[in-house]
Amino acid sequence: MGDTSERESDGQKRCGGRSEIGQRKAPMNDEQESANHTAEQLAAFQKIWGETFNKMMQAGFTFSPESAPPEFLRQMRSGIFQALGQSWEQFLRSPQFMEGMKQCMDNAIAFRKMSGDFFTKVRHETQSTSREDIDAVMLAVRHMETRVLDRVEELAAQIEEVNKRLNASGQNTGRPSQPGTKPKGRTRRNPRKK
Amino acid sequence: MSTANDIGNPWARWQESFLTESAANARRLAQLPSLYQRAQRVKKGATPSEVVYEEDRLKVLHYPGKEPARYATPLIFVFALVNRPYILDLKMGRSVVSHFVDRGFDTYLIDWGSPTYADRHLTIDDHVNGYLSNVVDFVRERAGTPNASLLGYCMGGTMSTMFTALHQERVKNLILLAAGIDFSTREGLLNLWAQQEYFDVDKFVDAFGNCPAEFLQASFLMLKPVQNLIEKPINFFEKADDPEAIDDFLTMETWLNDNIPVAGEVYREFVKFLYQQNLLVQNKMPVGKHTVDLRKITCPVLNIMAKNDDLVPCAQSMPFNDLVSSKDRKSLVIPAGHIGLAIGGKAQREVWPHTCDWLSERS
Repeated sequence: MGDTSERESDGQKRCGGRSEIGQRKAPMNDEQESANHTAEQLAAFQKIWGETFNKMMQAGFTFSPESAPPEFLRQMRSGIFQALGQSWEQFLRSPQFMEGMKQCMDNAIAFRKMSGDFFTKVRHETQSTSREDIDAVMLAVRHMETRVLDRVEELAAQIEEVNKRLNASGQNTGRPSQPGTKPKGRTRRNPRKK
Repeated sequence: MSTANDIGNPWARWQESFLTESAANARRLAQLPSLYQRAQRVKKGATPSEVVYEEDRLKVLHYPGKEPARYATPLIFVFALVNRPYILDLKMGRSVVSHFVDRGFDTYLIDWGSPTYADRHLTIDDHVNGYLSNVVDFVRERAGTPNASLLGYCMGGTMSTMFTALHQERVKNLILLAAGIDFSTREGLLNLWAQQEYFDVDKFVDAFGNCPAEFLQASFLMLKPVQNLIEKPINFFEKADDPEAIDDFLTMETWLNDNIPVAGEVYREFVKFLYQQNLLVQNKMPVGKHTVDLRKITCPVLNIMAKNDDLVPCAQSMPFNDLVSSKDRKSLVIPAGHIGLAIGGKAQREVWPHTCDWLSERS
């Protein structure tokens, strides 16, 4: 995509604006690039799996007629799985796989959003509560909670400060000292001690 | 010159093996129909425990043990927000918790619970400075001690590290078990897949709310697809006539498939700040209004890592000891995987007794 825009801007510079030819050429470049990309992905895919089958064949050729049959078969299987495992690892690390994964994720997210929007619309049309509404309420509660907890923390810090001063003056005057406040951290929301 | 006998022997061996294997396969097949019922009977947690504290969905389990605690400082297990914590107390002979209980430690385990859609806004701050802070306070109060020891596993280790850096005065010893600290490594597939250019965590969390359990499960399976999807079932079938092996397999599979979602905001912060920006090792990790500075950790630390960990590679945990100010620090690298580090035979025989010794000298 980056290449296409560069070519377009070059064309604009040369022609002093966006030419008709340039406009027609852009989709062709896109198609060509996409085809190249697909071919590249296919080539990488073929390479990885070609190597895999090669390794698997090699694993199968370690046959010794003296070895007991189950052991031999297990050894062969283990070799095949090892080769397959290595190739999968290589494939899962390849940019082709990650690009594909990204596309899958993008599609899944788009589908989720689309279905979410649809259900929200349906629920609103039937005058019922949608997940979006619940989210909005939850977020409002969450902000309120944060504000309250922040305030409580400020108050705790102030009380600690006051206690420190009282303790200091208590030591001077011989009065008993005040207990300290809870160390920093959030206030318990809904504790249930057993 | 080869005789007819020499030529005939391998063939006879093949025939004999074929019959033996066929008989074994018949025995294995006969076990399969009862698997479902046996899977239903799998017990979650082996050591006797009681719930001593609850907050929202969180529960704190206390393991009273047969005898009173021998060490003053209580020990708190902090498990990850992914999966259930009973992996640490899976079954008799494969329980991490029982090692510590039997050695006389006052042992607690945090079960974070399963977040619902309503919990999607919970952040790392809520877990570290909220829940974990409250649990540590509760345990300190209960045990009558100024501080407690923390043992964090995986993501729980990362959170324990953050807590210790923010509240060092409340932590006496810190034990990390396969904890992600330095996310710059590209050794692990998760680190690769979570890169910003391939994974837009904001879009994902905005669309899904919480990170779905199925998504996490699929990601973990994809780390080793051949082993998880092909080799494991075959290996299981080969041991299907061994009741002990079946029991181990079912217990493990029950835990592996007992997935829970991760609260959306926690997931967003974890991916963005750690996997993508690697802020923890730069001492820039924001947790609410605070910033985690690993240099503030001064307590004794024991960093246990698994050599063959595909989830949290060694390289991700290794730098921890060099980033803290503790003078008493130790690393252990075990030839095991992420789960084997806790419940594997070698870990049970060597790592946990050694860890108990280490902790007993400091409790």
